[in-house]
Amino acid sequence: MSASYRPSGASPFGPDRYTGGRDTLLFLLSVGVAVTFLLGPPRWGEATAAGIRGTVLVPFLWLQARAEEAKTSRARFEEVESQRDSAAWAAQALPALRAENDRLRALLGIIPRVRVPYRSAEVMRQSQITDGRTLVVSVGSLEEVHAFDPVVSPEGLVGVVLTVDRSTSVVMTWAHPDFRASAATEDGSVLGVVAAAEAELGAEPMLELRGVPYRDTVTAGTMVVTTGLGGIYPRGIPIGRVMGVAREQRGWERIYLVRPSANLGTTAHVLVLGREEPHRPADDPAAAKLRVPAGVVGDTARPIPRRRQARPAPDPSPSPGVRP
Amino acid sequence: MSGRSNGWRSVGVLLLLLALHFYVRPRLGAPRYAPDFIAIGVLLFALRARPGQAAVAGLFAGLLTDALTPARFGAGALANAVVGYLAAYGRTVFFADNLLVTGGLFAIGTWFRNLLVLIASGTPMSRLVVEAGVWSSVQALVTAVVGVVFALLLRGWLDLRIRE
Repeated sequence: MSASYRPSGASPFGPDRYTGGRDTLLFLLSVGVAVTFLLGPPRWGEATAAGIRGTVLVPFLWLQARAEEAKTSRARFEEVESQRDSAAWAAQALPALRAENDRLRALLGIIPRVRVPYRSAEVMRQSQITDGRTLVVSVGSLEEVHAFDPVVSPEGLVGVVLTVDRSTSVVMTWAHPDFRASAATEDGSVLGVVAAAEAELGAEPMLELRGVPYRDTVTAGTMVVTTGLGGIYPRGIPIGRVMGVAREQRGWERIYLVRPSANLGTTAHVLVLGREEPHRPADDPAAAKLRVPAGVVGDTARPIPRRRQARPAPDPSPSPGVRP
Repeated sequence: MSGRSNGWRSVGVLLLLLALHFYVRPRLGAPRYAPDFIAIGVLLFALRARPGQAAVAGLFAGLLTDALTPARFGAGALANAVVGYLAAYGRTVFFADNLLVTGGLFAIGTWFRNLLVLIASGTPMSRLVVEAGVWSSVQALVTAVVGVVFALLLRGWLDLRIRE
């Protein structure tokens, strides 16, 4: 190495700090390993990351989960209590509405509305600057989380579960370049696909509603929600509000800029939704862990049993062709 | 004091910093500008180890962070390995054992690592400018302050030669 390289104090790992062939070799090996992961097939990185999270990082992630819980219990207690009170007040009218809805569905022969179970989880923030494209949440396979389970916050769609470990999961958020969701305006008149927007200089992260036919116009302020197509996201989850036209492509498609409802920078708690399940009789005592959120996915406020228990027999007389 | 004893002390300090990173850091405000204890660990290690050893330490630290932010696995490992090597090499060649210079090493090391992560992650230029210019700079300064405090607290234990 360089002749100007001079020792500066004793090294705990060797007699001096002179560098040499071994240091260069170690450096090149380290860079080689990193570049191999960077340029190699993604499954190599995913497998290694899952292995590290499932072994070395287990105690540290446990510590972080405790820290997030403690922070929450202090800082957000009053806010959560206020939200609970509001939700309880709003829920006063729900039993009557639900009963009326069930009666009407029975009269019309429509099968009962599907239910979406969920698990609540803390977001465990990381220091790396790319944190936000992916998030680590504090539920995993122990809580029956699966890959491709949708993740929402009270404000709206956050993303989808990418990988699941024993007690944690990695979520691909809407800011990830690979994120896509089938979307529609709130009234269902305009369909498209939502993806992360190409950032402008100094601009906040945004979404784009792509694939909107040129003949359709979406006014600024229109809410965009998931359509339920594709089988990943339940229908009706808020994604964001249209800001305006981002660009047009050759006179046949308009791309709209959408301000996301869920702010990834401040989201501390999320709900990991499970697979939609058919309606079943209520009042099952085993519904303690998997609950159903009110407000996020519509009329699904009744707790339903845990997934590992026996499923009920299918409805004997569903009306063919009628979607819930 | 034996080299092996010193080595174990370094490992102990790294474990302590990891614990702080996961248990204390979430309580220190917004994650974008909270101090990065893993960066402090890599740079503290680089202050007293050979460049090759610092590169390997950076690689492992980077793999840990990549496992938790797998948007582009390997980006953190590459960045930390390069920063660890350059910090250990550069300190011996260029840097005096001075408190301010050590603080500058923490700040520049953290900022440069973030820049490398952004580049290796394929961040668009517009986003890169904001992240590197604003958030990385703030995090680098906060990390430098905390790193200097740690270096002062642990200089006797780790045989760091830092003059105030």
